[in-house]
Amino acid sequence: MALINSPLGAPVRAFARIRASVHVKLLAGFLLITFLVIALTVVSLRTVAETAREATLLDQAHERVVWSRQIEHALAMQMHFTSMTLLSQGEEPVSLILRENNRFNDTLARLETAAPAEERTLIQAIRGAQDDAMATVADIANAVRDKKLAEALTALRTRQEPIYQKIETLVGSLVSAEESRMAKLRQSLAATRRQSMRLMTGFAVASVVLALVGGFIISWSFILPVRAAHGFLSDVAAGRFGGTVVVPNRDEFGALAEHMTWMSRELHRLDDEQRVAAATLRGLNDRLALASRAKSEFLANMSHELRTPLNAILGFTEILLDELYGEVPANLREPLVDIQTNGRHLLRLINDVLDLSKIEAGRLELGLGEYSVQEIVEVVHASLRSLAIEKGLAFSVRVAPGIPAAWGDGRRLTQCLLNLAGNALKFTRQGRVDIDVSHADGWLTFKVADTGIGIPKEEVENIFAEFRQVDTTITREYGGTGLGLSITKRLVEMHGGRIGVESELGRGSTFFFTVPLHADGGPA
Amino acid sequence: MSDRTVLHIEDNEYNRKIVRQLLSRTTYRLLEAADGEEGLAVAKRELPDLILMDVQLPKLSGLDATRLLRADPRTANIPLVVVTSFALSGDDRKAMDAGASAYLAKPYSPRDLMALIHRFLPEN
Repeated sequence: MALINSPLGAPVRAFARIRASVHVKLLAGFLLITFLVIALTVVSLRTVAETAREATLLDQAHERVVWSRQIEHALAMQMHFTSMTLLSQGEEPVSLILRENNRFNDTLARLETAAPAEERTLIQAIRGAQDDAMATVADIANAVRDKKLAEALTALRTRQEPIYQKIETLVGSLVSAEESRMAKLRQSLAATRRQSMRLMTGFAVASVVLALVGGFIISWSFILPVRAAHGFLSDVAAGRFGGTVVVPNRDEFGALAEHMTWMSRELHRLDDEQRVAAATLRGLNDRLALASRAKSEFLANMSHELRTPLNAILGFTEILLDELYGEVPANLREPLVDIQTNGRHLLRLINDVLDLSKIEAGRLELGLGEYSVQEIVEVVHASLRSLAIEKGLAFSVRVAPGIPAAWGDGRRLTQCLLNLAGNALKFTRQGRVDIDVSHADGWLTFKVADTGIGIPKEEVENIFAEFRQVDTTITREYGGTGLGLSITKRLVEMHGGRIGVESELGRGSTFFFTVPLHADGGPA
Repeated sequence: MSDRTVLHIEDNEYNRKIVRQLLSRTTYRLLEAADGEEGLAVAKRELPDLILMDVQLPKLSGLDATRLLRADPRTANIPLVVVTSFALSGDDRKAMDAGASAYLAKPYSPRDLMALIHRFLPEN
C-alpha cells in the first residue's frame, strides 16, 4: 500500500478512471507489450541486415585484393617466362607466357566486374599496359625465333621492363585502394555493431521499464477496488451496513462497487426495518406475557372464588344426605345425589382449568420427593375400584417386582395415572382395564390397557390437545372435562418423560407414559 | 369438665353455617369469627381447645393469624387446622410452615372435617 501512496499512485488512479472495460484495458496492456516485442525485433533485424551488407562489402574488397595479388603474381610469372624465352630460345616458354597472360586477363576481367566505378580507369590503364606488354612479348618472341638475340634483349630491357614496372605500380595502387576501402569498411562495421548494441540495449531497458510500469499500473488499478471491496465486505459481514465502496474505477469494478454500495444501503434499510419490527414484536410479546399472567391470575382468583360457594353447595348437600337436618324424604334423595354429582363435576372442571392455566403460565412447580410406585398404583386402584365394579368391568393392577423408591412428584404422577385409568374405565362398556408398571434402564413405564371404544387413527394425534375428545357427544355421554389428557401430557413432560397411545377402533386403547426413575432435580 | 370449645374463623356465612349445623348435634361449644383480626382476638380471649382457620380472610390472612397465635405462649399449643384453598399452589406447605397442626383442602367433605375434629378433640 506504500507504493500506492508514492507518485505512482496518481497514474494508477488516472488509469482506473479511464472509462473502458477491464477487457479493453487488459487488451491494451497486451498490445503494448506485443508492440514493444515487434519493435525490438524490427530493430534487431535491421541491425543484422546492415551488418551483413557491410560484411559482404568487406568480403568483396578482400576478394579484389586477392585477385590483385594474383595479377601481380601472373605479371611476375610473365616476366620470368619472357626471360626464360631469351635463355632457352625455344617455343615452350612462349606458351607458358600466353597461359599466364590468359590468367592475368581473366582475373582482371573479374576484377573489373566487381570493382567500384572509380577503379575502372585504373583497371583499364592496367589492361592497356598489359596489351603493350603482350605486344612487346610477341616482338621479343619473334626476334628470338629469328635468332636476333641482341634485338630481343634490347626490347626486353628498354620496352618490356618499363611496362612491367608501370603495371606493377598500377596494381599496387589498386591493392592499396582496396586495402584502404577494407579498413574503412572494418571501421564502419565496428561502428554499426556498437551502435546496434546501444540501440538494442536501450530498447530492451525501455521495454522492460515500460512493461513493469504498465503492469504495475494495470494490476494496481484492479487490486485497489478489490481491496476496497474486501474491507467493505468485512464490514458487512460484521453487521455494519450502510457503508460505501469508494473506487476511482469506471470499469466493471466501478459498476461492482456501485452495486455493493446499493446492496449495503438496502441491507441497512432492511436491518432498520427488522430492528423496528423486532422491537414492536418484543413490546407485543411483553404485553402478551403480561396478558397471559393476568389471565392466569384471574383464573386462579376465579377458581378460588368459585370454590367457596361450591364448598357450601357440596357441604350442605352432604349434611342433608347425612340427615343432619333430619330424615330425608325418599323422593328428595335422588335430586340431592344429582346436585352432589354435578357439584363434584364442576369441582373437577375448576381444578383442571386451574392446573392447565398454571402449567401454561409456567407457574406449576413439581413437588419433587421420594415416592413409591406401588403406593401410586394402590391409590389409583382404590379410587376407581368402585366405578369398575359398578360398570361390571375387570380391573387389575400389576407392578413389576423390585422397583426401587422413585424420585419425582408422587401426587402429580398419581393424578396422571388416575386420569388415564379413569378415562379407560369411562370409555369401556365391557371387558377389562389393566394397569401395568414396569422398570427398565432407569425409566418407569406406566401402562393402562382397556377393551373400550378405541380412537380413530386421524384423532390419535389430537388426543392430547386441550378440550379434545373424539366426539363432543362423548363428553355428554361419558362426562369428563376434556382436559385430563392434556394435563397428564404436560405433567409427564415436566418430569422429563413422554406419553403415547396405541389404539384400534372398537378393540380398545393402550395409553402409556414413561418417566425417569429419578426425575430432574432429584438425587442421581 | 365443661364442653370442649371449637373456634371457627371463616368469612363466608354459608360455610360457617355448615360447621354450625355439623356441631349442633355434638357436645362441642362453637365460637365463630368472620375475619382474621376478630379470630385472633377471640382466640386470645377464649383460649379454645381447637381452631379451624380459613386461609383467605379479610383484614388478616389465615396464615398470618396462625403465626401470631403460635408466637403467643398461651395459644401456641392449641391444635389448629388450616382450611387451605387448593387453588393456590403450595398452600398446604405454607400452612404447615406457619404452624398449623393439620390442613384440609377446600372444598372439604363435612364428614372429613368431623373426623379431623374428632382426631384432635375427642368428644366427652
